Parts: sequence; C-alpha cells; structure tokens
Amino acid sequence: MSFTRIRTILGRELRMGPRSPLVLYAFVLPVVMTLLIRGVFGGLFAPEPRLGIVDEGGSQVTQRAQELDGIAVTVMDDVDAMLDRVEGNDLDAGLVLPAGFDATVMSGTPADLGFYVGGESLESNRILLAVTTLDLVRGVEGTAPPAEVEIVQLGEDTPDLTARLLPLIVMYAVAIAGAFVPAAGMVDEKVHRTLSAVLVSPAKMNEVLAAKGLLGVILALATGLVTLAINDAWGSSIAVTVLSLLLAGVMMVEIGLVLGAWARDANTLFTAFKAGGILIFFPVIIFLFPSLPEWIARLGPSFYFLDPIFQAVTTEVGLADVWVELVIGLAIVAALAPIVVMMGRNLEGRLARTT
Amino acid sequence: MTLRRHTIGAIIAKDARLFTRDRFFVLITLLGLAFYVVIFWFLPDTVDETVAIGVHAEGSSLHMAAGPGLQVTTFESTEALRSAVEEGSEGVVAGLDFPQGFAEAARNGEAVRITQYVRTGTPDEVTTALGSLASEVVASLAGDPPPFDLVSADVVVLGEDRAGSQVSLQERMRPLLAVFILVVEALALASLVSTEIEQRTVTAVLVTPATATEFLAAKSLFGTGLAFAETALLLLLIGALATAPLTMLLTVMLGAVLVTGVALLAGSLGKDFIGVVFWSILFMVPLMVPGFAALFPGSAATWVKAMPSYGLARSMIDLSSYGAGFADVAPLLLGLAAWCAVLFTAGVVILRRKVHAL
Repeated sequence: MSFTRIRTILGRELRMGPRSPLVLYAFVLPVVMTLLIRGVFGGLFAPEPRLGIVDEGGSQVTQRAQELDGIAVTVMDDVDAMLDRVEGNDLDAGLVLPAGFDATVMSGTPADLGFYVGGESLESNRILLAVTTLDLVRGVEGTAPPAEVEIVQLGEDTPDLTARLLPLIVMYAVAIAGAFVPAAGMVDEKVHRTLSAVLVSPAKMNEVLAAKGLLGVILALATGLVTLAINDAWGSSIAVTVLSLLLAGVMMVEIGLVLGAWARDANTLFTAFKAGGILIFFPVIIFLFPSLPEWIARLGPSFYFLDPIFQAVTTEVGLADVWVELVIGLAIVAALAPIVVMMGRNLEGRLARTT
Repeated sequence: MTLRRHTIGAIIAKDARLFTRDRFFVLITLLGLAFYVVIFWFLPDTVDETVAIGVHAEGSSLHMAAGPGLQVTTFESTEALRSAVEEGSEGVVAGLDFPQGFAEAARNGEAVRITQYVRTGTPDEVTTALGSLASEVVASLAGDPPPFDLVSADVVVLGEDRAGSQVSLQERMRPLLAVFILVVEALALASLVSTEIEQRTVTAVLVTPATATEFLAAKSLFGTGLAFAETALLLLLIGALATAPLTMLLTVMLGAVLVTGVALLAGSLGKDFIGVVFWSILFMVPLMVPGFAALFPGSAATWVKAMPSYGLARSMIDLSSYGAGFADVAPLLLGLAAWCAVLFTAGVVILRRKVHAL
C-alpha cells in the first residue's frame, strides 16, 4: 500500500467532494436536525401551559405572571382575539383583568375576573393555571402569605430531553458523513466507471478504499464536532468526546465502504440504508427512554461510541470511566476491517470481469 | 392529442414489472410499511391529563380532594411520602408535607411552614402550582376562602370540551406517517424517472409508437397509483379509514398526485441518483412540515397553512380524529387540488422539456 497514492486520491476526493450535494447535505443536516429536534420535539414532549392575559387596567397580576417559570404567558390587547386563540387551542387558558381589578381586590370586595379555558386544553393544565392564577390574585391582596413553603428536590438529576436527544443528532451526523458519503461515492464511481479508470493506474483497490475511508472519517469528525458545537455539548472530557467521534467515524466509514462495494447502483444502496439504517440507529432509543433495558442497546455497534459521548455530555467522566465501551467499539472496528478488505477484493474482481 | 390506453398500459406494466422483479425493493417496501404500522401501534393512544401528588399531614386527618386533572394520594408518614416522590411510585411527582399542629396554627393566624418534595425533573409549573395549593389549603383553614372559585363555577370552557378524550399522540401521528410514505414513494418515482433519462431508456421507448405525452401519462399514473396504494394500505392498517373512508381516500389520492408532481420535478432536475436525492429532499422536507405541525396543539402558523401539503395533513387529522366530514374539509381539499394542479403541471412541463432535449 502506497501512502503517496492514498494522499493523491484523498486530495482528489477533497477537491471533488465539496461539489457533491451530499457533502453539503452532511453539514446542513445536523443544523436542521438540531433546530427540528430541539424546537419541535423538545416542545412536544415538554409543553408548557399557555396563559393569555388581557389586562385592561395595568394589574400587578400580569407582571407577576410574566415572571413565572414554566408557564408561557401571552399578553394581548383584544379580548375577542384572545378568546379565539383559547378556543383554537393556541392558548390553554385566558384571563381578563378588568380596569381597577387590583383596587377591588385590595379593598376586599369580590373581584370580577374572567377565566376561560380551551376545550382542548389538558385537565392538568387547567388546574395548574387556575391554582397559579388564584395565587397571583392573592398576591395582589397585600397580606402576608399564610404559609411558607420550603422546596426539597429529591432523586438523581436526570438528563433533560435536549441531552437525551443529542445521541440521535450525533448519529445522523456521523452516519450521513461517515457511511453514506463514502458509500455513495463508491457507487457513483462504479456506475460512471471512473473506478475502473483509477484501477488501470498504479493505484490499488485498498488504496482507493483507504482514501475514501479517510475522507469519510474527516467528514464524520467534522460534522460530529459541528453538531456538538451547535448543541453546546462538548462534555466533561474533550478526550472522551473526540475519541468517541473518531471511533464513530471509522466504524461508520467501514460500514459505508462495505455497502458501497456491495451495492450495484445508487438505488440499491439507498434502499439498503433505508432498511439497514435501523440496525445502526436503534441504540439511540435507550438514551431517549432510559427506563428500557440497556442490554438491547448494547447489541448495536453504535452504542459503543454514543454511550461515551452521552456520558461525557451529561456527567463528569474521564477515559477511565468509559474505556470498556471504547475498547469494545475498537474491537468492532477491528472485526469490520477484514470484511472491508474482502469486499474490496470482491469488487476488484467484479470490475476486472466487466472491463 | 389522443392518448392510447393500451400504450400507456404497456409502459405502466413495464414499470410495474421492473418494480416487482427486484424482490429486494419489494421486500424493503413491505418491511418499511410494516415498520411504520408497528411504530404507530406502539405510540401512546391516550393522553395523561393528571398531575399526581402526595400529601402527608402529621397528626391530622387532612383530606385534600382530588379533582379533574389532580390526583391526590395520602401517605402515613413523611418517609413514605419522600420515598413515593423519589421513586415516582403511583405516578407521584411531588408531595406536600404538613407539620404537626399546622391546622391549629393556621386557625390561630400563625405562619405555617410546609415542606414541598419535588422529584428532580418535575416541570416548574407543577412546583409553582403545588406551592400555591399549599398556601390555599392553609388560607382555607384560617377561614380565608379563595376570592373566587376558579376550579369550577367561574370557569368558562370555550369550544368542545375534550377533557378526558383528548386527541392522542398516536392519532396526531397519522398525517405524518401518511405524508412520509407518500414522500418515500415519490423519491422512488423520481429515481425511476431520473434513471430513464440518465440511461436514455426514454429515447428507446420513444422510438416505439409511444409518444412523449403517453410516456409522461404512464409515469404519472404509475407513480400516483403506487403512492396511493401504499398510503391507503397504511391508513387501513392504522385504522384511519374507519370514519369517512371515501373522503379520506380522496384526500390520499390528491396527496399522491401532489407528490407525483414533485417527483417528476425532482427526477427531471437531478442528473443522477444523488442529485435526485438532493432535489427530492429539498422539495419533500417542506411538504412534511404540516405533518409535524399536526403533532402540536393549536392552529398552524400562516406560513404552514401556505404549504402545499397543509390541506392533506389537516384534512387527515380532521377526518380521523375530529369526526369531520366531506363538507368540513372541502375547502382544504380544494386548496390541495389547486397545489396539485400547479406542481403536477410544473413537473410534467419540465420533464417534457427534458425528454424532448434528449
């Protein structure tokens, strides 16, 4: 194997690569996934009760409501518009505070307050908003609170949803850049017969595979780091994070090269990814739903780089804490290497027969 | 121009043979469909509308009544309450621990110190509301009733009250799954079209008596039929055809025409398979946005309503989850049909130009 030839082929890959829409896709996807998953699914699994307020007299209730944690408050000017939003389930509840509301409450006379809930709002949100509103109005009375409440947190600090979704985003980033880009490149070269052209030069198949693999590892590492950067998730140990990403890149590249060497055309490759993707992706489930048994995720090779990344992001860990996972990951990489070589030889033979 | 049915039929039959000959594709298509069906049935089919809390009142028989949205469990000791909150047993996420003699202290107007246990990760709004609830209990014991009854009498419910029968995540997923299947099928059609252009088999077809129009008609019919059949099967398997089946099938048919138009566009613009994937994703991702929007409560934003597939996703959820009929979704279907006309025409025109250029 000649390192000079590998460098030459890699140079060509790096020059030609950015022209492929897939490389652009590999870099854009983590950003889109981050926005989608954090914005869309984060809000889906942890929705805040939504309260609309029309304040006709500058009540303290409005100001105090806006300072509350965990309740999305929208202050509006028009009662009818707010009621429409409550009815359309754009708000869980609406509060109308008439002019002079605070003065009425402070004088001890019954206050006229309109509280509306949407038919589609959850019962839990209705009660939470009702009780909170009651407390806000009590606050206007100006008397000392009847009770002092001390809050005690119990249980271990579990990673929040954003952290639990991170393995999914990282997985997409490294799988597209590390596996799909080299595989698609191989298939494209086979279909357009440029691979045969390269092989009539002194370059050998294993050098072509090494160059394409290196490109995949560089891309996977880059997209993985970009993903962690935009998610502000460098973790407690940079060494663990970078080593895990490197492991991810090499493992994905090997899978990509095997598929790229095997698939006869892009359609077959795409279909294989569509079907086989689940085998690579399923370990992310354990991070999303920690109550599931971990052994299921351990059956998937990607667990051995996702778990160290997840641990580094959510807890204080060093290499000593995750070395077992990393070593198993390396063993998988080592086991895949001869399969890549074998598939390369097989492809070389097929190309020789068809040219 | 006259379209000859037998010519179109022959081209469709050729495409169908190509599609079914590859057992790998057929197997993967069926496996994919089965996978979506399994995912659907594993999704939660009910909505948990209750916050479960625990209460312990040392030396007192305090009874806090549960109500809609609130489940109250009484514990015999502080340890039992702490343990329940920590482990989340009986779904308890937080608890109130009232001290010995708190009722008497409250009645005497003395300050009462209450401990509120909260499991880590409990939403802020629950913590806030529970503190308010504790204060209200003490105020009530002190003879200071709430200024108004927000929990029942003074509350006005707007719209149909769906308390206890909310639309579940499973039901909300229906449009997204259907749109996803349509998009995947469109990708397959786009690839088929691109392959015909790239390998120039289209020119081989056109040296036969078949005309370009017949070729385009056959591709469109095959793509629409394939997308429609697979999506209709999916909807059948996920129970979406139980109400207003004909209107639902009409909706799916329009959806199939819509994605076929997009597939013709992507297939014409992509030079090879990778190009087709790129163009398809560029076109198809926006089409999936209304499906995602259907997962959320409330009305969609104006820009989401302007998306071509909004009528498809909204009609599906209205028909399957809100008991709507044809008359209710007719304006949405009209908008969808208009988008179908625009995208389908654009797809056919661009593909025709590409075919003529070969």
